[in-house]
Amino acid sequence: MTKQFPGGLFAGRRWTSLRLRLLVVFALVALTAAVSASGIAYWLNREAVLTRTQDAALGDFRQEMQNRAAALPADPTPEELQRTAELMAGSSPGYSVLLVDELKDGRKVFGAAGPDSFGLADVPKSLQNAVNDRQKTTAANDAEYHMYWQRTKPRGNPYLVGGTRIVGGGPTGYMYKSLAQERDDLNALGWSLTIATGLALLGSALLAQAAARTVLKPVQRLGDAARRLGEGELDHRLEVSGTDELADLSHTFNKTAEALEKKVADMSAREESSRRFVADMSHELRTPLTALTAVAEVLEEEVDDLDPMIAPAVALVVSETRRLNDLVENLMEVTRFDAGTARLVLDDVDVADQVTACIDARAWLDAVELDAERGIVVRLDPRRLDVILANLIGNALKHGGSPVRVSVRVEGEWLLIAVKDNGPGIPEEVLPHVFDRFYKASASRPKSDGSGLGLSIAMENAHIHGGDITAANGSEGGALFTLRLPVDVGKVIAGEA
Amino acid sequence: MGQNEPVPFLLLIEDDDAIRTALELSLSRQGHRVATAATGEDGLKLLREQRPDLIVLDVMLPGIDGFEVCRRIRRTDQLPIILLTARSDDIDVVVGLESGADDYVVKPVQGRVLDARIRAVLRRGEREASDSAVFGSLVIDRAAMTVTKNGEDLQLTPTELRLLLELSRRPGQALSRQQLLRLVWEHDYLGDSRLVDACVQRLRAKVEEVPSSPTLIRTVRGVGYRLDSPQ
Repeated sequence: MTKQFPGGLFAGRRWTSLRLRLLVVFALVALTAAVSASGIAYWLNREAVLTRTQDAALGDFRQEMQNRAAALPADPTPEELQRTAELMAGSSPGYSVLLVDELKDGRKVFGAAGPDSFGLADVPKSLQNAVNDRQKTTAANDAEYHMYWQRTKPRGNPYLVGGTRIVGGGPTGYMYKSLAQERDDLNALGWSLTIATGLALLGSALLAQAAARTVLKPVQRLGDAARRLGEGELDHRLEVSGTDELADLSHTFNKTAEALEKKVADMSAREESSRRFVADMSHELRTPLTALTAVAEVLEEEVDDLDPMIAPAVALVVSETRRLNDLVENLMEVTRFDAGTARLVLDDVDVADQVTACIDARAWLDAVELDAERGIVVRLDPRRLDVILANLIGNALKHGGSPVRVSVRVEGEWLLIAVKDNGPGIPEEVLPHVFDRFYKASASRPKSDGSGLGLSIAMENAHIHGGDITAANGSEGGALFTLRLPVDVGKVIAGEA
Repeated sequence: MGQNEPVPFLLLIEDDDAIRTALELSLSRQGHRVATAATGEDGLKLLREQRPDLIVLDVMLPGIDGFEVCRRIRRTDQLPIILLTARSDDIDVVVGLESGADDYVVKPVQGRVLDARIRAVLRRGEREASDSAVFGSLVIDRAAMTVTKNGEDLQLTPTELRLLLELSRRPGQALSRQQLLRLVWEHDYLGDSRLVDACVQRLRAKVEEVPSSPTLIRTVRGVGYRLDSPQ
């Protein structure tokens, strides 16, 4: 049976696949039909053939017994018995004959002739008993002796054995007819029927295959289309042909896909416009901020000489300008990630140097313990690494308090930088949200850098490198942030493309 | 600021009035003499009339934009140029560096940062040694701060000259981009390595026989750049 499934689509399918079930059902139906038809045909034929042969042989034998054996004198000599047997067997040479007569002194005389020589031992005892059984004659039974027959199989060959006794005294006669010819004929018939059954099975399998194909092909196409839809190919449609249930299904599928596509397009258009709004807004904010920043610095330098009533106001303007600056900067960074326009500027950098520079530039040297060997050179974007580190360490200093411990190590293809603080740790319910934008843990917990975007930006910067950041609580308390970056970002990105 | 140190004269080209006024105020307080222009055309005119030491140039300008101003200046002049860019537009930085800028600062910029960059750029033109070095047909005269190729004077910007000097001080030794950023641009950390790459490209265009297959300034993969004597 051919089970060549198209493509690799069916490879590894379960045994309960629709195709297999169809195949089994078709085969079972075909097998039942073929076997019962063949069985009945065989049985009827067998009966007909055997009955005809049997009737002919037994009829002939009875005739011969009446004609010849009954004509024998009482107590015939063995020679007479033998000649009669030969005559009987010779008249219709299809069976052998055995004549047995019991003399007065109890001796048995035999006469045998025919193609298959056989003795009394070959005649089943039950048959002999039946033949020699003298019955009372009644209205229903007109004779003392009857003719009996039986089919035996001595030495593996089928034979018909018949026997009778001459009524009113005379020899007992047995006939022995080989049924080999009939057996061969019936065997040939059996073989033909078996072959026919086999052919029917094969035909049913092919039919099942064809049926499966007509049903399964559209199902497969539908499944394929659904998969592609799931993968985001929203413009994929099915060809609708015919008017059956599968065509209906395809039609429904197409309508669903269309509705989905429209909805997704609507949503992304809305998202896009809101994203553009944020981007444009932060751009627009930047121009006045640039002027403000420059002037605020001038004011800051003069703050000592100002009226003590005015100085705090000026200090506030300066610090809030700086905060606004950070916020706008972060907003723009976020919109760049959202729009997918963020780019990596790769360079080979010594990680220990980078971390030191980052800490140094923000005057954190006293508050941070660094555990890093020099000479770990990694290919990444140094500016983005600085953003990540500044956010992680700044966050740790703000919430955990010093000393913050930063350790750098390389594991295989990955650079791992762990930032651990000495604070109370992060509450379990907050852990999954620490990288969310503008997430406020609680009213009592101040936001990390005033913008609420710091950790989210750190995460985005890790992602663009093909890495990530995980937040957890250390075994002996304190929050533990682990940054994981590929040692060679260029290679990772090339590998993905 | 020492008495004998000349006051740097800057030309600030910026279209936004508020930013221009604020930056002028801030830079003046840092001890610079500042001339301002609101458009690229005005800036170029001013450049011909006066002779600034350095130009601070906004990228987004009405009329001819900052990149075009930069290219026009570079055609005749090796004046140092610092670009004011918006960091959101990464491509701006690359285009700006290709059009010949020496450095860039990102808006909103702090006056102190801009001042530090300006002074770093200006220091690049200062002489410090008094010897000369020869690399094939290239002669670097550290006393006169001139470079000649086959006897002809090469017009190099102070940044290009400083880069060549730093490389020639360690012939045959590879310098990483971060090292070069510290030595030439005086960025203490986190420098943008594209500054180095862009400057190397411009320098190669001037000193190499065939800029696309350099024999003097070689790229050392995974490290940075190296100055070799041609074999």
